[in-house]
Amino acid sequence: MGSAVEQAVQLIASGDRELLNILSVTARMSLSSSLIALLLGVPLGLLLGACRFPGRGLLLVLNRTLMGVPPVVCGLIFYILFSGVGPLRHLHLLFTVEIMILAQVVLITPLLTSHMETYAAQIAGPVRETAKGLGLSRWKTFLLLLNESRYPIFSGYLLGFSRAIAEVGAVSMVGGAIAWKTNVMTTAIMQYTNRGNFSLGIALGLILLVLSLGMNLALSLLQRKVAS
Amino acid sequence: MKKLLALVLALSTVLGLLAGCGAKENTAQPTTEDTANTETNDAPETTDDTAGTGTEETTDDSSAVVVDLTILKEADESMLNTYSMIAVNPEAPFTDADGNAVSDVTVNTAGADALMHWLLLPETLDLAANYGMEEYGNTLFYVLEDAPTYEGEIPAATDETKTIRLSTTTSVNDSGLLSYLLPQFEEAYGYTVEVQSAGTGKAIEAAKFGNADLILVHSKSQEEEFVNAGFARVIDGMETERVSFLYNYFVLCGPSADPAGVKDAATVLDAFAAIAEGKYPFISRGDGSGTHTKELSLWPAELGITEDPESFADYTDWYTSANAGMGACLVMAEEMGGYILTDKATFLTFVANNGVME
Repeated sequence: MGSAVEQAVQLIASGDRELLNILSVTARMSLSSSLIALLLGVPLGLLLGACRFPGRGLLLVLNRTLMGVPPVVCGLIFYILFSGVGPLRHLHLLFTVEIMILAQVVLITPLLTSHMETYAAQIAGPVRETAKGLGLSRWKTFLLLLNESRYPIFSGYLLGFSRAIAEVGAVSMVGGAIAWKTNVMTTAIMQYTNRGNFSLGIALGLILLVLSLGMNLALSLLQRKVAS
Repeated sequence: MKKLLALVLALSTVLGLLAGCGAKENTAQPTTEDTANTETNDAPETTDDTAGTGTEETTDDSSAVVVDLTILKEADESMLNTYSMIAVNPEAPFTDADGNAVSDVTVNTAGADALMHWLLLPETLDLAANYGMEEYGNTLFYVLEDAPTYEGEIPAATDETKTIRLSTTTSVNDSGLLSYLLPQFEEAYGYTVEVQSAGTGKAIEAAKFGNADLILVHSKSQEEEFVNAGFARVIDGMETERVSFLYNYFVLCGPSADPAGVKDAATVLDAFAAIAEGKYPFISRGDGSGTHTKELSLWPAELGITEDPESFADYTDWYTSANAGMGACLVMAEEMGGYILTDKATFLTFVANNGVME
């Protein structure tokens, strides 16, 4: 472990070009996929949590089932769809960062939806009462609910981001772990492990953890400012 | 706010300390290990002073000590490991996952031709033949005597032919050969080669799924099946679809103590028979790779070991089907004191990487 920490520090200090590329692909993939998942998951979750409509129970069960989809299965489905012989081959998306983001969004959105739904179900009653008392329209009520959910929105984003940055099964399948193009931290760690170079794998793992730590600290600060 | 800042400071201090300890530990380790019997405690301190230059050499020395796995059988006729390139035919009978025919699969034929031609230039073959001398003190690949060569022109990349998808096996990629050769090709002609590496079985499957322009693999039977199914094409200046050009040897490795007496076996087949007879632990790739296919062909026929898990269900007390990459399997063999079949290039890289977790 000691030498892995040393290697991690050395890797960063040397500014290795391939490492920088891996880091930037990782950042691009996890930041955008968690953001898209947030934009989809928050309204969906609030809707499911706060509103009562026919089919809601079914949607809830469906969403919770999707939460359990193994990433590698999700990756396999996208691989087959976008393969050279697949029905969506003309989009030429296989082995690109875009399809990695797409696969991640499919994996993360159910998590965010469920996260928001749980919270919205708790506060929906009081919010509705207040809105009734103030005579607010439906749209305004939704905005009020959104405003009340600032805190879980932040933690939801972190949840999605952490899942995205740590994911390996789906992204290695649809991204192909191609050097300089779709290789991310997790797939690079897999490669080094397969070569028997465990300490470099751990070094990359440590860098990943530190990045995650930085992201969490930054967002926690922001969360306190915005949500309090 | 202040609390958080303090937390960040504390964390970075801890990390810094860890890094510092790591550096010391590492420089200290090789010396204490090498000279464990006689040296006293002041050894680490003296190495600390000269850490700058001395570290790398001592680490290299210790790797020989750390990795117990050694090559026991090599350069046997039956252990020949031939690498071939095959260009994918855009008119191949592609089918989708449900078995329906698909006719308009995009294959970058011009790009595949350019890369194959470049790899067959006499200069490139020279580079490949000498690869590994510097890093490992041993060449990792040899050029086949009857390998075809190409002397003609290679066109520069255009927008349409720029991206070449190469599906290859882990051994070619992990040994570093491709990352040594390909940048020179990319720089000279402006192409981008996207390398996906997996076991030969998966690498060929990717091509059948229309996800590769050419393949570079090492399993004759699987390659011939691919060609016979109509997935290959003959490129300009070549006579056959399968262009074999490089080779090295598979090697049988095992614990240096060699309890099965593999070293003294007359042939590799005898060695495998001895391992099976004595039920000494053996690690199989188990992933349909070229190495796995080779291993399956070396067991005594009466054992009936095939790719099918049922076939080795009775041997699980000594036969481990790992379903993992070569490096991971080598680590497993090292830990379990088992025997293993590996290509020589990956084994030498593995030893150079120190082999075990620190």
